[in-house]
Amino acid sequence: MTLLIKCIHLPFSFSSRMVSPAIALAFLPLLLTLIIRYRYYFVLFYRAVLVRIWKDCVTGLSREERAFQYVLTNSTPGDPDSILDAFDYWCSKVEFISNIGPKKGKILDRLLMEQNPLTVLELGAHCGYSAVRIARALPLGARLYSIEMDQGNAAIAEKIIRLAGFDDDTVELIVNPSDEVIPRLRSDYNLERLDFVFMDHWKKCYLPDLQLLEGYGLLGKGSMIVADNVLFPGAPKFLRYLRKCGLYEWKIHRATLEYSRGIRDGMAELIYQGIK
Amino acid sequence: MPGDTLITSENDTDIELDFAGDEDFQENHEREKHKGKRRNGDRQKNERENQRRKRPSKLVQGIREESQSKTERRERSRRRRRRAEHETSIHEGNERERDQTRAKSTKSKKNIKNEKTRKLEGKEDGEAQERSGKGKLKLVCAKNEEKIESGDQLKEKEKALGVKKKKKKRRKKVVETSSEPETSEEGDDEEEVNNDGEVRPELLSPEELEKLKDAVDEKKKLIQSLRGKPWPMKQKLVTLRESQLFVEKYEGALGKGKGRKLYAYKVMMTKKWMKFQRDFENFKTACIPWEMKIKEIESHFGSSVASYFIFLRWMYGINMILFGLTFGLVMVPEALMGRPYGSIPRKTVPRAEEAGAMDFAVLWDFGGYAQYSVLFYGYYNNQRAIGWFKFRMPLSYFLVGVGTVAYSYMVVIRTMARNANESGIGDDNSFNFSWKMFTSWDYLIGNPETADNKFASITTSFKEAILEEQESRKDDNIHLTRFLRVLANFLVLCCLAGSGYLIYFVVRRSQKFALDGLENHTWWERNEVNMVMSLLGMFCPMLFDVISTLENYHPRVALQWQLGRIFALFLGNLYTFIIALMDAINLKRKEEKVVKYNITMWEASLYNGTGSENSTAPPITIHPADVPRGPCWETMVGQEFVRLIISDTMTTYITLLIGDFLRAVLVRFLNHCWCWDLEAGFPSYSEFDVSGNVLGLIFNQGMIWMGAFYAPCLPALNLLRLHVSMYLQCWAVMCCNVPQERVFKASGSNNFYMAMLLVILFLSTLPAIYTIVTIPPSFDCGPFSGKNRMFDVIQETLESDFPAWFSKVFSYASNPGLVLPFILLMVLAIYYLQSTSKSYKEANVELKKKLQMQNEENKKKNKQAALKAQMDLEEARKSASQTAEHQRNNNASVQRREDDEEIDNKNQRMYHGRNPSLSAGDREPQFSARGPGPRNGHNGNHGNPRYLPGFRQQSEPRMCRVPSLERH
Repeated sequence: MTLLIKCIHLPFSFSSRMVSPAIALAFLPLLLTLIIRYRYYFVLFYRAVLVRIWKDCVTGLSREERAFQYVLTNSTPGDPDSILDAFDYWCSKVEFISNIGPKKGKILDRLLMEQNPLTVLELGAHCGYSAVRIARALPLGARLYSIEMDQGNAAIAEKIIRLAGFDDDTVELIVNPSDEVIPRLRSDYNLERLDFVFMDHWKKCYLPDLQLLEGYGLLGKGSMIVADNVLFPGAPKFLRYLRKCGLYEWKIHRATLEYSRGIRDGMAELIYQGIK
Repeated sequence: MPGDTLITSENDTDIELDFAGDEDFQENHEREKHKGKRRNGDRQKNERENQRRKRPSKLVQGIREESQSKTERRERSRRRRRRAEHETSIHEGNERERDQTRAKSTKSKKNIKNEKTRKLEGKEDGEAQERSGKGKLKLVCAKNEEKIESGDQLKEKEKALGVKKKKKKRRKKVVETSSEPETSEEGDDEEEVNNDGEVRPELLSPEELEKLKDAVDEKKKLIQSLRGKPWPMKQKLVTLRESQLFVEKYEGALGKGKGRKLYAYKVMMTKKWMKFQRDFENFKTACIPWEMKIKEIESHFGSSVASYFIFLRWMYGINMILFGLTFGLVMVPEALMGRPYGSIPRKTVPRAEEAGAMDFAVLWDFGGYAQYSVLFYGYYNNQRAIGWFKFRMPLSYFLVGVGTVAYSYMVVIRTMARNANESGIGDDNSFNFSWKMFTSWDYLIGNPETADNKFASITTSFKEAILEEQESRKDDNIHLTRFLRVLANFLVLCCLAGSGYLIYFVVRRSQKFALDGLENHTWWERNEVNMVMSLLGMFCPMLFDVISTLENYHPRVALQWQLGRIFALFLGNLYTFIIALMDAINLKRKEEKVVKYNITMWEASLYNGTGSENSTAPPITIHPADVPRGPCWETMVGQEFVRLIISDTMTTYITLLIGDFLRAVLVRFLNHCWCWDLEAGFPSYSEFDVSGNVLGLIFNQGMIWMGAFYAPCLPALNLLRLHVSMYLQCWAVMCCNVPQERVFKASGSNNFYMAMLLVILFLSTLPAIYTIVTIPPSFDCGPFSGKNRMFDVIQETLESDFPAWFSKVFSYASNPGLVLPFILLMVLAIYYLQSTSKSYKEANVELKKKLQMQNEENKKKNKQAALKAQMDLEEARKSASQTAEHQRNNNASVQRREDDEEIDNKNQRMYHGRNPSLSAGDREPQFSARGPGPRNGHNGNHGNPRYLPGFRQQSEPRMCRVPSLERH
C-alpha cells in the first residue's frame, strides 16, 4: 500500500529531480522486447499510415490514384496478370494497399475454380484488384457484381477493370454502400441466387451484410462466401456468428496479411447449407 | 456321423425359413428350440411349468396388459432356465468349446430379449403361430435328441445373426412409442429376478442346481477372460453385460436354504464395501489440496502449466514443515516462556524510535514494534534455558536453523531420486500412441464436467505427442539453425552482461548514497537497487523469450534454455544483493565496535556517579528503552530479506494484475469498439509464463533459506505468499490466460526444476553458513550474544548438559583422524553405488531391447501362420463357390466369412500361443487346414451350399469337427 502511495506521491514531491537513469535503463529490455515482438506491426504502421500521409501531402493525389498511375505505366493493357503483378509490386515495394494479395489470392483462385460460379458478388472493390482477380478466374458467361461505396475508388476500379479487358457484361460495378445495394439486388439486377460472394469491405459490415444476404434469400444451398481479413484487422462478431448459427459449413484458411510476413491473417470460407 | 444329420436338420429349417416371413422365422426357431429343450429336460419340471403358466392367466383374466406381461415373464424365465441347463449340457459334452458355447448362449439370450419385445407388440399372433410351429417342428425334432440340441445351438446363432438388425429396430420402436412400456418392462425384469431368486431354487432338482452352478461358474470365468478374447468390442460388451446379469440373477439362487440368505447378505455387504471404498478414494482425492483446481488447469492448459502448480504445491508442503519447525520450536517458546516485551533492552523499542514505532509505514518496513518482536533474530535472549521445563532456547534456535536447511536438502534430493526412478522405469519412446490410446481414459470419472475436462486433457496430450513426433522427424538447414542459436546465445550473454553491469553500477551508487546519509536522497534513489533488480528481473526474461524464437528449439528444450538464462540472471541479481549486504554488515560491525566502547564508558560513568553520590541508595533502575545498544547486524540482514520478499511478492502480484488481468479486461471489452480484432491479433491474451514463474518461486525459496536464520518469520511469510499466489494464480490462469500455442508435455522437466532448486539451495546456504561461521554474533542481541561464534552453543551444551563421557566421545569422534576415514568410506560407498546403478541401467536397456526383439519375432511368426491359414481357407472357399449355385446371398456371406475367418485364425493363434501343449491347440490348425475338405463333400452331396455361410460362426465347425475327430 505504502509502496503505491509512495509511488504516487514521490514523483510530485521530487519532480525537480530526474528519475535516476539506472531505472530508466532497466526499461530498455522491455522496449527492446516490444520492438522485436511487434516489429511487423510497426512496419505496417509506417508503410500504411506514415508513408501514405507524407505522399498525400507531397503529390496531392490519393493513394489509389498513385497506384493507378503506376499500374497504367507498368502493365500491359488487356492482360489481367500483368496488372495484378504491377499491383503486387507497387503494394509490396512502394506503398501499402490492403488488396487481397498474391498468396491469399491463390486460395481465392482455387476456390473459384472449384466452385465455378455463374453469379458472383464482390463487396468492396477498392481499386479493382480483387475484381480483376475474380473476373480472371470466372468461367465463360459468368457475371461479377462489384460493389464499392467510395466514388473515387470506384472510378479507379472501373478504369482498372476496363484496362484489364473486362467489359460491362462480365463485371458490373455498382457504386453504393453495400447495405443499400443488397436489398435491391433481386429487383434491380434480377438476381435469384448468388453462387459466390467475396467480402473485402469494412470488417464491421461483414456480419450485417451476411445477414442481409440471408434475409433476402440470395444464398442457395451450396453458395460460397469468402471473407478476407477475418483475423487481422479481424471480424470477431462475424466469426462468432458463424460459430453459433449453424447455417454454414465453414473453415478459416490461415495465411499472413497481404504484403507482410509476420502478421497472421485468415480468410473465411463459408458454404451455405440452409436451414436443416 | 452326427455332423451330417446336424447339417441336414439345419438345412431343413433353413428352407422353411425361406418361405416363412421374418417373424415366423424367429418364432419357429424359438419354438423349435424349446421343444428340443423340453424333451431334453425332465417331465416334472414341464408340468410345473404348465401349472405356473395357468396360474397367472387365471388370476389376471380381467386386466389384459398385465396378463400379457406376466405370461411374457413366465416365458422368459422358462427359457432362461432351459438355456442354463442347455449350456451345462454342452459344457459336460466338450469342455474345449466353452468359449463358443458362451458366445452362443449370450446370443440366444439376445434372441429371447428380442422375442420379448416382439411379444409386447403382438401376443395373440405369436400364440397362433406357436401351435403351427409346434406341428411343423415335431417333424424336425423327431430325431436324436442330442443332434437337435446341437442343431438348436446352430440355429440360435443363425438367428442371432439374422435378427440383430431387426432387434435393434424393434427396440428403438419400443422406446419411441412411449417410455411406459420400457419402464414396465424393466419392472417386470426386476420381479422376475425375484422370482428366479426365490421361487426357482426350490423347484429345481439338485442336478439342475448343479448345472446352474456350473453355468454361473462358467459365466464368471468368461467375465474374467473376456478381455483376451479376439472378438469385436461390441460383442465383448454385450457378452459382458449379459453374463454379468446372468451371474447376478443366479448367484443368489445357488445357496441352499439358510445359506442362501447368508450368501445374499454377503454379496450385498461386498457391494456396499466396494462402494464405500470407492467413496473413500474420492474423499481422499478431495483431501489433496488444490487437486481439482490443478486438474482443471491441466485439462485446459496442458501438463506444463499444471507442473508449475504441482511444483508450487510441493513447495507449499515443504514450507509448511519449515514453518512448523521455526514456529513450534523457536517463536512460540520464546513468546510464551521467554522474558516478556520491555523486560530487557533488546526486547524494547529504543526511546528515539518510540514515537513512530506504531506507524504503518514503519511497520511495513519491518521497523518499530515489528523489529523488536519474535519475528527477528535480535529479540531473542541468550538465556540458556527458559520456562519451567528448561527449554534450551539458543540451542533450539541453532538446531532449527541447521535442521531446516538439512531437511530441505534431504527432501529435494529424495524427490530428485524418485523422479529419476520414475523416468527410468517408464518407457517413453516406444508404443507412445498405443499407451495414450488405450490407457488414457479415467474410468472413475462420474462427473460430466470432469469428463469434459478429461476429454480435453486427453486431446491435449495427443496434440503434444503428435507435436513431439513431428519435431523428432523434422530436419532443417542445420547450419542456419546453428548460426542462429549461437547468435541468440551471444545476444543473451550481452543482455546478461548489461544487466549485471547495471546492477553493479546501482549498488556502487547506493553505497555512495549510504556514505552520504540516506536522508539526503530521494525515495527513488534510496530504493534504486530494489527497483532496478525487480525491473530487470521482470523485463529481461521477456527479452530472452523473444530472442529464443530465433533458435527454433522444441518447446521443451526451449523452456530449459529459457530457464537456464533466467536462472543466470536471477543468480547474478541475488549475488550482487548479497555482496551489497556483506558491505552493510561490515559497516554495522564497525559501528558496533564504537558503540560497544561507548557503552562501557556510559555504564562506568553511570555506576561511578551513583556510587559516589549515595552508596546506600538502591541502584538506579534505568528503563530498558533508554539503554544504548549496538546496531545488531543480524536483525538488519533479516529485515533486508523480509523486505526483499515483500517487494518481490508485490511485484509479482502487481505484474499479474496489470500484465494479465488488466490486459485481458482491456482486450475483452475494448474489442467491441476497436478497429482490429484485439483477441486474435495484436495484444491478445497473455500466455502463462511457466519458466518465469518457476524461477521466481525457486529464487524466492532461496531467499527464504538464506534469511530464515536471521528472521524466523520468513517461512511464515512465505507460506502466506504461496497460499495467496496459489489461489491468485489459479484464478488468473483460468480467467485471463490462453493456452500456449505449442502445447507440450513437461513432466520430463520436473527434475530440471529440482536440480535448479538444489543448486539454489546450495548457493543460498553458502552465504548463510559463511556468516554463521566467520562473523561473531552481536554482543547485545540475539540468542548467541556474548559468544565468540554462533556454533559455540553446541559445545556449551555438550559440556554442561551431557555427562562427561559423552563429550569425551564426541571430541574423539570429531577428531580429524576419525572423520577423514569416514568421509573416505562414504565417498567409496557412493562410488560403488553409482557404478552398480549404472550397470543395472545398462542391463535394463539390454533386457528391453531383447523383449522388443522377441515381440517382433512373435509378431512375424503369427503373421505367417495367419497368412497360411488364410490361404488355405481361400482355396477352400474357391472350391466351395464353384459348387455354390443355389446360394442366395452369396456376396454378403463371403464378406462375413472373411471376417470370421480372421477371427478364427486369431483364435487358433491364441490357443497356440497360450498353451501349445493342449491337444485342442494342436488339433485346430489341423482342422483349419483340412476342415473344408469334408464340408465340400457334403455340399456336393446335398447340392446345398447353404451350410457354408454357417462357417462364419467359429463354433460350428468345431461342433461338427469334434465328434468326427473322436471317431478318428
